[in-house]
Amino acid sequence: MTDGQENRLEAGRESAGTLGPTGSARSMEPLRSSGTTDPEGRTGVGQRSVLEVEHLVKQYPGADVPVLNDISFRIPKGKVFVVLGPSGSGKSTLLRTIAGLEPIQGGRILLDGRTVESGDASKGVRAPRGNRVSGTRSTDLRTRIGMVFQSYDLFPNKTVLDNVTMAPVLVQKRSRDEARKEALELLDRVGLADRKDAWPNELSGGQRQRVAICRALILHPEIMLFDEVTAALDPEMVREVLQVILELADQGLTMMIVTHEMAFARGIADHIVLLDRGSLVEESDDPERFFTDPATERARQFLSTFTYERRRGDGVGEQAHQAGQGNV
Amino acid sequence: MNWSFMAQNAHFFVNAAYVTVFISFFGVVFAILIGVVCAALEVSHVPILSPVTRGYIELSRNTPLLVQLYFLYFGLPKLGISWSAQTCAVVGLAFLGGSYMAEAMRGGLEAVPRIQRESARVLGFSPRQTLTHIILPQALSSAIPGVVANVIFLVKESSVVSAIALADVMYVTKDLMGISYDTYESLALLIITYLIILLPISVIGTVLERRFDYARR
Amino acid sequence: MHGVEILLQPGVFPRLFSGLWVTVWIAGISVILSIPVGLLVGWLMTIRNGLVRAVMRVYLDFIRIMPQLALLFIAFYGFARAFDWNLDATGACVLVFVLWGGAELGDLVRGALESIPRSQYESAYVLGLDSWQTFRRIILPQAFRRMLPASVNLATRIVKTTSLAALLGVIEVIKVGQQIIDANRFLYPQATLWIYGVIFFMYFFICWPLSLVARHLEKRWAHD
Repeated sequence: MTDGQENRLEAGRESAGTLGPTGSARSMEPLRSSGTTDPEGRTGVGQRSVLEVEHLVKQYPGADVPVLNDISFRIPKGKVFVVLGPSGSGKSTLLRTIAGLEPIQGGRILLDGRTVESGDASKGVRAPRGNRVSGTRSTDLRTRIGMVFQSYDLFPNKTVLDNVTMAPVLVQKRSRDEARKEALELLDRVGLADRKDAWPNELSGGQRQRVAICRALILHPEIMLFDEVTAALDPEMVREVLQVILELADQGLTMMIVTHEMAFARGIADHIVLLDRGSLVEESDDPERFFTDPATERARQFLSTFTYERRRGDGVGEQAHQAGQGNV
Repeated sequence: MNWSFMAQNAHFFVNAAYVTVFISFFGVVFAILIGVVCAALEVSHVPILSPVTRGYIELSRNTPLLVQLYFLYFGLPKLGISWSAQTCAVVGLAFLGGSYMAEAMRGGLEAVPRIQRESARVLGFSPRQTLTHIILPQALSSAIPGVVANVIFLVKESSVVSAIALADVMYVTKDLMGISYDTYESLALLIITYLIILLPISVIGTVLERRFDYARR
Repeated sequence: MHGVEILLQPGVFPRLFSGLWVTVWIAGISVILSIPVGLLVGWLMTIRNGLVRAVMRVYLDFIRIMPQLALLFIAFYGFARAFDWNLDATGACVLVFVLWGGAELGDLVRGALESIPRSQYESAYVLGLDSWQTFRRIILPQAFRRMLPASVNLATRIVKTTSLAALLGVIEVIKVGQQIIDANRFLYPQATLWIYGVIFFMYFFICWPLSLVARHLEKRWAHD
């Protein structure tokens, strides 16, 4: 990660205001106004939490150790919450429990101050059958949390436009024309308006992910979950997707992001946490500080895996060289 | 169910099973030979021969065995080619099965990823070594399920040879029903005989598939 | 090469075509009836009930391991007596072809349903689609595409298997051919060669286009 990259990301974030004021501001409006229903104001400091997780425990049937152990955090409205951690730390599982794709065995998940999921030790004892999802949330509740997956999961039997308009028409019972209009605005904002009639298999990975983001946004979710959305992309496509997410952050969309892109995490996060073996080992409201001067040894260790350095002059190579000389 | 009737007549079915197995065995052996040659011709793109092979495969796959047998048994003698019913049955099965086997084997060859050939080349294998050590073993493993399915298919298809008066299992069943009117017992013997012939092939096929399954191991 | 004049006799081709129509009719009705049976069987095979699974397994395995001619005999001679049905040869054929086609199609339906990746169900879930909408709009269209080539191939197998109806005495194209041959035994002793040759190509020109369609679909949809 070079300074140059980092600066570009910062710059990208600042320059997001250059997006056409027409499309963006209007389309984002429902997002801003959607959450006025909560009078409780749980955070206490005047900032309302969109998502709260309390003592969440997730354990797979037959496993000795929970995948997620006593996780608690809150995400205030309009903030970007980034989850970092090594593979297998439970990052994706955390997002999946919040989206309702996996039952939890302890704790609570609250959306807008209302409990949407409570831990139940008897749930998830049996694996879900076949490919089907075991979740039981109401369809309305599901539309309030948007999620974008790592795999390109567009529906291959629908065109780009139909992928985006399907849920608003079928689930939210919005009119086809209105959904179509908004879908076109969203696609235009991610630079894909001209691809509206394409089939998913005609798109690149980066394009598919941008469509997937539109497909989630059109439902006006209160929070968006991004699960390593660039992990399966070629490097040159990563940027076009991350740029879109940066712009959404600037427009005040609340989101929770799991990523391996450190420069991106540093540039976008309002709040950053490190997850390791199912527990939160470090939390920080100061991303800059987290990256330069982490509080815990575990975080230091984790961050060091992203830098590369050759030991010139004093390593094993040097010794071998000297040994060679000795033999002559 | 009249058990003593079944016991008394079981020996007819033993002989009939022998006819079925005999015809199927030779039919399958020749079908595999034809299949190997056709698959090789198809993937190697020999002028004239490859299109002819394709034509044979299309003709054989898209016509019923019964019509093929009638043509061989009743039609060909008019051209001076008179074969016994047994020969016609074996030739018919081989003609039908050859194309099915060819398709299974071609599928196996085409299933070997290109990267395997390229890796072998980079490692310095000769074309011949590549074929015998890399391509054929993998092609065999992916062709085996298809070949086994075709063997079972051909044994089942052999039931049609009763139509040219060969005393196979179907023929004997019909005979026995005609003579005795003990329909259930005759049909039960028919089912049992086919199960005894086909179940072991099916089991051996499953074992073979597991053994040669490099991909899933 | 003499004897080919038999084909030019008035009435020969019209009679053969009327026989072919019976063949096509039996095959067509069997294919059409196989579709609902296959969907039902395929759905039943994905159900997690042990008893249902076991019953479907036995049904599928029995149908698959028995020669179709044996199944025809069982239906024609066995069922007719057992249930006191007045099942004629044509009815027995359609019954067997539907039970057989339904079993094979059911297995294709099961395979196609199970091949849809889990992420498709999950995407639909987080978008708020209910399980019927997910099945109807997302899963079924994709499953349909995946199983269509094999289903067209199954249809050609059903057409070919229709030839066995002749052995139960149904007056279809082969039986009509035999009647023509018998009637001209002395006038045209070479008739067997020509008549069976014509029937051979009649089957070929029905089945071959179907095979081509199946192969085309396979190629076109393979990359999805």
